[in-house]
Amino acid sequence: MNTAKDLAKENLWSNNPVFVQILGICSTLAVTNNLTNTFIMTISVTFVTAFSNLSISILKNYIPRKVRMIVQTLIIAFFVIIVDIMLRAYLPSISKSLGPYIGLIITNCIIMGRAEAFAQSNPPIISFWDGITSGLGYMWVLMAIAFFREILGFGTLFGIKILSSSFTPWTIMVMAPSAFFILGILIWIVKTNMMRQDEKKQAPIKKTN
Amino acid sequence: MKKDSLMYTVIFSFTITFIFVFILAVAHNKTTERVKKYQKISEAKAYLSASGIKLSPDESPQMKFSEIFGSDSIDKEVLTATIGNENIFVSRLSGKGLWGTIYGVMATNKDIDKIIGIEITSHSETPGLGGRIEEAWFLNQFKGEKVPDKIKIVMGVGRGDPISDNSLVDGITGATRTSESVESIINKKLMELRELKGRGEI
Repeated sequence: MNTAKDLAKENLWSNNPVFVQILGICSTLAVTNNLTNTFIMTISVTFVTAFSNLSISILKNYIPRKVRMIVQTLIIAFFVIIVDIMLRAYLPSISKSLGPYIGLIITNCIIMGRAEAFAQSNPPIISFWDGITSGLGYMWVLMAIAFFREILGFGTLFGIKILSSSFTPWTIMVMAPSAFFILGILIWIVKTNMMRQDEKKQAPIKKTN
Repeated sequence: MKKDSLMYTVIFSFTITFIFVFILAVAHNKTTERVKKYQKISEAKAYLSASGIKLSPDESPQMKFSEIFGSDSIDKEVLTATIGNENIFVSRLSGKGLWGTIYGVMATNKDIDKIIGIEITSHSETPGLGGRIEEAWFLNQFKGEKVPDKIKIVMGVGRGDPISDNSLVDGITGATRTSESVESIINKKLMELRELKGRGEI
């Protein structure tokens, strides 16, 4: 049984949904050309993952086996539509700029992944925490990618011009392939780092031989 | 009743679906008014912006709209107004974009040989690429653009063509198809307006 702190460490780093579990890649490529959109998107995913984990964990003993996945999809879709309705009513300009990507949160593998892997076999409160930390793990990776894509592709951060007009924007950074490259480089850096950490942990054991 | 029996499965599925959808219906209902109100304000803003009217921070878009166009809502296909000493026509733009319909507003002078301005109100184009048709640098190119015949979108530096006499505007790098769609939507509307004028209907 994981403690809350261990779970947080795992979801934010050692078992990060994006660069370790390689989930949620589609949205990673689509929204990260813009920090503001990325921020709203990742907050929404965190909200949906946390609350759907909570609901599924509460209902898990009542859901018949045969309709397990479809009931989970129903619950996930419910929370996504709530987010969509709230954005349309209270943040309409952001809802317009994110457009179809909000609805597509339903298809984000991270949410269904956590529902199956965690919420189905753990109590409600810790499932809620698992949802929050998975969402945050997703958030920091996407914000990092969006940082590079927005500054190099537009010269701005959160819409505020940072680089001078003499800088020629790299239009490729606005297009999806750049997200592939940046994500690939990020996975490379992180995995190398993780492997070195593992080697260091194993080295003392080898020496005592 | 056993959890895996057919009866339980049916009753459970029905009940859970009913509960969640009911909550969604209530949420949707409670926010419908707000969404509609926002849409009306945003339409009024688009019409004013296309006509080149700047709103001061304490002016309500809808009041200004009534003041300029003489009515509370958009009740005709082509609205007329007098701004400064120029008579203008303002009408909706719509047409096929790359992914979905592009909607906007266009204001022209009464001889229909100059575009006063355009606004894009909704589209489903790729964010960051085709979606840039709603950005100021792109839309500003159309302000006061002379169009004795048609507007043409060309490959430019991507920062906007400031010359208003050449009937040319810069397209969006990496968004050729969306740029072409906007070009044909505007030209189609210009043609329609000229036809209506020729028949004396406006």
